[in-house]
Amino acid sequence: MSTVATLTAERAAGTPAREDALVFDRTSIRFGACEVLSPTSLSVARGEFVCIIGPSGCGKTTLLRAAAGFIVPSGGALTRRGLAVTGPSRDVAFVFQDYGRALLPWRTVRGNVSLALEAAHVPEAERPARIERVLGTVGLLSHADKFPAQLSGGMQQRVQIARCLAQEPELLMMDEPFGALDAMTRQDLQDELARLVRERGLTVLFVTHDLEEAIYLGDRVIALRANPGPQRASLAKVIDVEIPRPRNQLSTREHPQFLHLRRELYGFLGHGHD
Amino acid sequence: MTRALRPVAVPLLLLAGLEAFARTVGRNSDAVAPPSAALLALARAFGDGSLWQATGFTLGAAALGLGLGSAIGASLGLLLGLSRRAAATSFLSIEVLRPIPSVALIPLAMLVFGFGAAMEVSVVAFATVWPMLILMQAAVRQVEPCLLEVSAALQLSPWDRAVKIIVPAVLPRLFVALRLGVAVALVVSVTVEIAANPNGMGYALMIAQQSLDPALMLAWLFWIGAVGYAINEAALFAQRAMARRMGEVAE
Repeated sequence: MSTVATLTAERAAGTPAREDALVFDRTSIRFGACEVLSPTSLSVARGEFVCIIGPSGCGKTTLLRAAAGFIVPSGGALTRRGLAVTGPSRDVAFVFQDYGRALLPWRTVRGNVSLALEAAHVPEAERPARIERVLGTVGLLSHADKFPAQLSGGMQQRVQIARCLAQEPELLMMDEPFGALDAMTRQDLQDELARLVRERGLTVLFVTHDLEEAIYLGDRVIALRANPGPQRASLAKVIDVEIPRPRNQLSTREHPQFLHLRRELYGFLGHGHD
Repeated sequence: MTRALRPVAVPLLLLAGLEAFARTVGRNSDAVAPPSAALLALARAFGDGSLWQATGFTLGAAALGLGLGSAIGASLGLLLGLSRRAAATSFLSIEVLRPIPSVALIPLAMLVFGFGAAMEVSVVAFATVWPMLILMQAAVRQVEPCLLEVSAALQLSPWDRAVKIIVPAVLPRLFVALRLGVAVALVVSVTVEIAANPNGMGYALMIAQQSLDPALMLAWLFWIGAVGYAINEAALFAQRAMARRMGEVAE
């Protein structure tokens, strides 16, 4: 797997389009008369971790949902590995913010993960081993036969991540996945996610309203502005995060670049419309 | 102990009042009989087997009708809940058919099926289709949208989506609808027997009335009440047991 630095270099050198996991090409989305996302261009390289931040109502979730194929863009092009996105695909897994609603309450942890395998028509004989393996990677093996309601919020979100991993996707779409969790759990899950993404070479689009989380996790941070209007693009700022990996909750957050980026983004978000 | 007795105090008082009334003022009445005489008549009906036969018939017909009506209602409700087009197409037909009192169908059912169980079952089925259909349709439309997006993201087939997401999600409310249907089925089946079908508890009640046997008539009334109470309690128990089994369905 190539490192972040080479990916960035490749992008700079004009990498061929097929290397990009996801390309927004002047993509715009409107609901009725309201333009939620004004024409936005953005390429996400394979294996890249891109975080999207911005004030609420800036269209970050809409952008994510379009990338997942839930919404069809109103204008411009949106391609995944060179092919137009026409709908959801099993190559793309979506982690919803509201884990309580995204899990089947009548299925156990095992059953919830199994759903992804059933959807992919994995033979029944292969499922138990794959479920065990995926539950092992998110540390849920000992809770495999519990129901979601018997688990804490952090564990429920782990179940959702496990289900998405069982799908064996290339792209992971995450919509404020840790937004509802307490600070400790959030940090644990951030580190686990970073590890899983590294191990599996996943490409991630991660929406958050927490800019420290964005800098901590991302290879790149995309800031969107609210109410872009017809004259301005939704895409307000793109920042490369070149803090080395693996990152660490203590040292990374004290890294000069982390502090510098935090100040830069904070100022940007703080002023709102510049 | 007193607390356990409290719910039965009122019925006992009423029975005692009726007993006193029937033995004094209404001694020569053809309409009222003392509950003690009704109890004896009930015991006689127990003894000669007519009680079990009639009860069995009514409950059997009600159960068959409920099963049939609920199966039709649930499948239609599922379909109409899933497909806006199907709902729009059938909306008018349903709204015209639904208000027809089920007993108004007795003449038609009699023409089609003649006297007997089939006629009664068909009328009960008609009566129980609607609550099930309406409740199921609403339940399907209220399935957590996030779960539907999960099924879209996983690209579940329409069949898998129905069987693995929608049906389990609406199951608790299906049991509620079924329990409501039990009460409807019992009322309608007894009504059909009173009005047309020469079988079952409703007919036995009519015969007692027509043979000027108020004690037996009262006995049947008590019995129908007792059976209805028992059936509804059983249905409620079954529904709660089911909800407990799916206990993790926090709504």
